[in-house]
Order: sequence, then C-alpha cells, then structure tokens
Amino acid sequence: MGRYILRRAVQAVGTLLLVMLLLHLLTTVAIQLNGNPAQAFFGDKVATPAQIAAVEERFDLDDPCYDQVGNPCLGPFVERLGQYAQGDFGTNLRGREVADIVATAAPNTLRLFCIVLVTWLALGMVLGSVAARWRGSAGDHGIRLTSVLIDAFPVFVLLIVYRYVVAVPLHGWAEDTFGADSWPPYWFKPSFDPDHPWATVLVPGILLGLAGSAAFIRLVRASQLESYQGDHVRTARSKGLVERHVVVHHVVRNSSVPVVTAVGLTFAEALGGAVITEGLMNIYGMGGVLWGAVRDDDVSLVLGVVTLLAAVTVVVMIVVDIAYALLDPRIRYE
Amino acid sequence: MRQARIATFAAGAAAVALTVAGCSPSDTDDDAGPVTLETWISQDMDTLFPGDAGSYDPISVLDVVYDGLVRYDPETTEPYNYVAESIEPNDDNTVWTITIKPDLTFQNGEPVDAAAFARSWNYTADGDNGLYSNYFFSIIEGYDEMQPETDDDGNITAPGAADELSGVEVTDDLTLEVTLSSPFAGFATMLGYTGFFPIAQECLDDVEKCSTQPIGNGPFRVTEWQQSQELTAERWEDYPLEETPGYDAIHWTEYAAGETASWADFQADEIDLSFPPTAEVEAAKNDPELSQRYVEAPGAALTYLGFSLYTDGPWQDVEFRKAISMAIDREGIISSLGSGQATPADSWVVPGGVPGGEAGTCEWCVYDPEAAKAALEQAGGWPEGEKLQISLGDDDAEVEYFTAIGNSIEEVLGIPYELDILPSSDYFSTRSAQGFDGAFRNNWFPDYPLNENYLSFYAAGSEEDSQFGWYSEEFEDKLDEAAAAPSLDESVALYQEAEQILAEEFPTIPFRWSFSATYYSERLDNVVLNPFSGAPILRAIEITA
Repeated sequence: MGRYILRRAVQAVGTLLLVMLLLHLLTTVAIQLNGNPAQAFFGDKVATPAQIAAVEERFDLDDPCYDQVGNPCLGPFVERLGQYAQGDFGTNLRGREVADIVATAAPNTLRLFCIVLVTWLALGMVLGSVAARWRGSAGDHGIRLTSVLIDAFPVFVLLIVYRYVVAVPLHGWAEDTFGADSWPPYWFKPSFDPDHPWATVLVPGILLGLAGSAAFIRLVRASQLESYQGDHVRTARSKGLVERHVVVHHVVRNSSVPVVTAVGLTFAEALGGAVITEGLMNIYGMGGVLWGAVRDDDVSLVLGVVTLLAAVTVVVMIVVDIAYALLDPRIRYE
Repeated sequence: MRQARIATFAAGAAAVALTVAGCSPSDTDDDAGPVTLETWISQDMDTLFPGDAGSYDPISVLDVVYDGLVRYDPETTEPYNYVAESIEPNDDNTVWTITIKPDLTFQNGEPVDAAAFARSWNYTADGDNGLYSNYFFSIIEGYDEMQPETDDDGNITAPGAADELSGVEVTDDLTLEVTLSSPFAGFATMLGYTGFFPIAQECLDDVEKCSTQPIGNGPFRVTEWQQSQELTAERWEDYPLEETPGYDAIHWTEYAAGETASWADFQADEIDLSFPPTAEVEAAKNDPELSQRYVEAPGAALTYLGFSLYTDGPWQDVEFRKAISMAIDREGIISSLGSGQATPADSWVVPGGVPGGEAGTCEWCVYDPEAAKAALEQAGGWPEGEKLQISLGDDDAEVEYFTAIGNSIEEVLGIPYELDILPSSDYFSTRSAQGFDGAFRNNWFPDYPLNENYLSFYAAGSEEDSQFGWYSEEFEDKLDEAAAAPSLDESVALYQEAEQILAEEFPTIPFRWSFSATYYSERLDNVVLNPFSGAPILRAIEITA
C-alpha cells in the first residue's frame, strides 16, 4: 500500500507539471495573439509607451517574449515554478495575491459542494436503493420518471426561477413569520451573504444538487441491482441473515465503489464548474474567478487557480483509489 | 472501522445542519443598532488607492472616504473649494497658489497639509510606479523627468530621472504653489478628481496596505473589506467638515454581474439602491408604488464612432462620414434596445452635464435618409463588393447596438457591413497602434466636469499619434488659446469654439450618451444622482427610520 501511494504521488507531480506547462503555453499564446493586458488597464484612455511599459513591469508582463508570437516564454515559466516552490503564488493582473483570492473563493465553492454532495447522497442512496429493492414496482417507475424529468431541467432555469420568482416572496414571508433576527430569512436570501455563508448557500446548493442527482439515482440503482444478484448476497440470505443486514452490509456497501468514483470525479468538476450557480447567486467562488481570469488573460491567476484545482483533483483521485480498497475487500494494492 | 466512518459522516452532516439551522444569526441589525446604507459595487474593484482608482466603483467609494481640494456642485457640476481655502491662478494660468483649510487631519491623526498633497501627487506622477492616474499629472512641470525611458519595442531602459514634480512646491504648511508646463484655465476643476486626493505618510509607507485599508480624510472610514464580497465603511466621528450624512455606516455588497444582479436583493429589501435587469425594466416602470422611488439623469459618457483616417478609404471624405452619421437612426435604435437606457447624442460634449456642454452642436447627427443618400453620392459612393468593417470590443450589449447601427447604415445607404469583434485587450492595442480599417467603436467617460475633457484627447500633435489618424492645427491652436484664457468662463467659451471645429471637420460620429437611473428603498430620502458620474450622491442621502 505504501509503495502504491508513493508511486501515485510521483505520477501526480508529473501530471501537475505537465498541466501547468500546457496552461502556461495556452495563456502565453492568448496574450501574444490578443494583445497585452497592460493596454486594457487604461481602457479608453490613450496611454503613452512609457505608461504601458511601467504597467507591464508592475504586473510582470515586461518580458519581451510576450510580444513574440510563438515564443513559449519558458523563462517566466521557470521563474514562476521557482516562486511556487517557495509558496509564492504571485498576484493577479491588478496586484492582488492569488493566494488571497483562492483563500476567499475556495471555501465558498467547497461549501456549495458539501451541500450538493449531501443532496446527491441523500437522494441517490435513498431513491436509488428503493428503486433497486423494489425493482419493476410503481415506485421504481416513478423514480425513473422523476429522475428523467430532473435531468431534462437545466440548472440555470431552476436557479433563475428560484431567484426571481420564489426567493423574494419566500424571504419576505420568512421575515414576517420568524422575524428578521432568525435563520429562515437567510435561507431564502436571493443572493449569497459572506457573513452567513452556510445559510445562504443552502438553497442554491440543494437546487444544484437536485439538478445533478438524476445520474446518481440511476447509478446507485444499477449497481445495487447487480449486487442483489451476486453470489455473496445469495449466500448471506441462505445463512439466514435478516434482510436488513443483507441490504446494508452486503448490497449497499458492495455497490458503493462506482458511487465513490462518481463523487470523486464530480468533486473535481464541481470545484471549477459551478460557474452558473455561482454567477446567478452571486457566490464568489472558484468557477467565477477562473472565468474572469481566462477572459482577462490573467496568466498568474489562471495558472495559480488551475494548478490548485489540478493538485486537488490528483489528490482526490488517489483518495478515491484508496477508498476502493477499504470498501471492497477484493481490491488490494501491491 | 465501519461504524467509525458512518459516525464521522453523521457528525459532518450534523455540523452542517447545525450551522445552517443553528440558533440565530449573530449580527442582525436590531432597531437600536447603527443605521447602515446598503448598496452595491461590482466585484472587480481591486484598489482604493486614490492614484490608482480610475473606474466607477472605486471612485464612488473614495468619494465618501476622501475629501479633495474641490468638490462639485450636484446641479451645475461646477467646482467649489472644499479642503482648499482658495485656489488662485496667476495672470496666464501657469502658476496656481493653493491654500488649504487649517486643522484638517487624516483618519489616523496625521495633518492634511500641503505636504500631504505633494506626496500623493509625486507618487502618482512617478511613472515608475505604473499607476492609473499618472497621466493627469502630465500638465504639471517636471512630469516628463519622472517617466521611465523606453526603447522602440516598448521596454524600459532606464527609470525616470526625478522622483518629485519640480512644479509642485510646498511654500508653507498650508500652501502649495503649482507650476504647469503650459497654461490651463481649468486646473482647479481637475483638482476634485480622485487622483488628486491627499495621502497620509502612513499610507505612502505601505502603499499595498493602503490600497485595501485606506486612510482617508473624508466622512467615512473603511472598517472592513472582504475583497470581491463586501465592503463596510463607518462614519468617522471626528470629521471636521460639514458634508457628512446622518446615517452611521455604508455597506457595499459586491456583485459579479454589477448593479442589475442586485435587483432581487432590492426586491427582498436587502439593498437600498438598485436598477433592474433589462427583462424587468418594464415591470418596474409600471409598478405605481415603485416608480415613486425612482430618479434618473442623463449620463456623461459618450459612445461614438471613429474612422481609420490613417488608411485609404471612402471615409477620408467628410461627406461620406456625414452620410454614415445621418444614416444612423439613433432614436429608433436606442428606444428598441436596452429599454431606452441611453440618450441619442448630437454633440461631443455632454449637454447640461458639464460647463460648456450644449446639445445640437453636431449638425449631421440627425437621422435623415434622403440627405444621407445625397451625401454618399457627393462622396462618390461606396466601392462595389466591399464591406464596411466596424470594429469593437467583445461586449454583448455593445454588439447589439452596433449590429443595429450596421443595419441602419445598410438599410439607408446600401453599404454592407461586417462587425469585427475583438477581445478587449486586443481592441485597445489595435486602436492605439492605428490597426483598424474602417469604422470602430469608442467610448469616453470624462474624468472631471469641464468641456475641455471631452476635446483635449483629440489633440495628439500629429496624425501618426492620433488614435483616429486625425490632426487639425486650427483645433489644437484653439485648445491652447482656451487653456490660456484669463478666466474659466472665457476658457469654456473658447473650448466651445474648438468643439465647433470638430463639428465641421467631423472626424468622429457621436452616437449615444449614457443614462443613469436608480430605484431606492422606502426608507431613503433625498436620493440625487451626480449629473456627471451618474452615481447616487451618498453624502446627500437621508435614511428615515
């Protein structure tokens, strides 16, 4: 097990370096083709060459390679790697620490993901298990129909309707009913409130989770059905174990491997992929930060954020692989 | 092991549930608490350092955190002395003596004196620091010596030789003598701009810190800024001057999508000032109760069309430019797009918004298809098979406007067009490198309320240095004459004459003025928009119970 983890860690570092180099090249080409971001700093004002040069220097864009299309700009890349090694993630185009940006945005995204995950697991495990346990029943068909409906409903529609149609009256109702000094009005606040992050991320998280739960329900159902037909379940039953024990210990547990895989994969995606939810509900999160950074050719910020996301993804994948071994006694890493 | 895992998960879920459902929010306002104005800014505000803050959001925040030498009358936009006791020019407007009111301090106790202004101006004027407002100081003697030297590729070869403006002299504690590099009658008007605010020595010692935790001399102190999320400023109890409102604090929520994103919160009574997204504009207008709590004012930002007068093409002929201008149905386009949140422009200086601004100076800004066709014919028509390229930056709302402009031109004159949409950094660098071929979008948001500010950027000194490829000696002479006029009024009148030259030579086509409007909550009173910036004047707002 120890050697396995070590091998995976070495692979991870390699993957990270590759991802960073690729990103560096892409953003560099973007600057070379799109023109220097220093120019955009002045907007409609016409800046003199000296002003542009000073701003380029201030934001580390003064390397002449950024003006030469096709130049891979390896100098600044190596320099940046050195800074990363020392824990310095640099600043964005306007001088704000990338570490500070991530420290503000990542917790919000993680909160959102926590709620989404709980929603997925709750809906997926319960409805999926019910559908598998009573396969072919009216309940099974009802759950399948519901999950198809949910899947067909885009998350942004759900959120826009919630924000503009449902949240405002609910918020007013909650304030009148429970008083302004209580939690319910915060749950239905139309926008995120950084002073009450958990309360205001709850409903958007549940909605986002709901929208993504259909795949989860189907996954749980399919993998449990397989377990129900497994030899170990038949053996357990023939040993005379009570049905509850069989379901919880032999079906649910054994069918968790694909579920854990899905959670791991979606986690990585959720970190950067909740752009729409974050944007609509005004949650300052990683998705929005990355979106803005790419739009503004903000090399340091794109690299800093994506490096972090890539690092998290790699770690999560290793954790998922280890979790397999814990969940399924047949899996052993040598 | 298994039980432990389940227990951990249960504990985690319980923790989330408790936090979400727990007792009660800690900092909810109760009736006896401070009265806080709830408003919005955009999420990309990145600095509150006066010399580096050039956009709407930091300017509106700094307006309550700092006081300048002058402030502007909300009705006429004319400057009046505020921190300054007096501002007097010499006979030819080259040397200005500024006296500062005694006994003023920063929020940290340091004196607001002549040195406080000098240190701020020197720091911003120093080109090596790369600050946004640097170019404002080019009017002061000694500016050039403070700029870095660059080679032909735009790389810095040597830092600026000087660290201080030779034209700024502290003659005593409260007196500054400012020597300009050329006469300028409107200098006093510039002094209310953010870039001219004073800074404390403590601020200069740690500029980075001061950019997020400003040490102002205005009526509000920034107490907390969770950058990109929210900003809070509380009233400074020891504020010595008179322009301070009756409420206790201002809380800005930062929105990624700007003002309209705050509309749902406004409807939920969480925000006091807001404007609806396009889809909701009609509903808000038709709400009889809500429309009582509405103010609007014309804005001062001009969107206009320029031509690549540095390339060969029909646009070299002034008649062609007139034809294009008269073929644009400004009224029709503006009323059908963006819910009419703009005003058709028929001048280069905002009418009524700044001294010297008058409507109707552009004779050919009226939609007149017949006259447009005649002018096109006189210009020799449009080359067969070619398309008029209209370049602009990547912005959805602007693309809509310029598609409509293109359609209007095509419909009236039969000139096919093509939109050339560029990422904004590319757009700006192409423009300054004279890289367009055809027409292109421009936008001007003035820095200080004087008609000169709408005109002086046309004076590039030569065709090569102008972003439009336009140069007129007569125009530049007129600007010089106006700058040297003995009084501001005479100066304003001469600038109007310069606008007239622009109107005759017609290098650019005015299209629309921005438009400002806001709805406000029931508890607000005396909500007035600054006619110049369009922002609500926070210092004037009253909050009732």
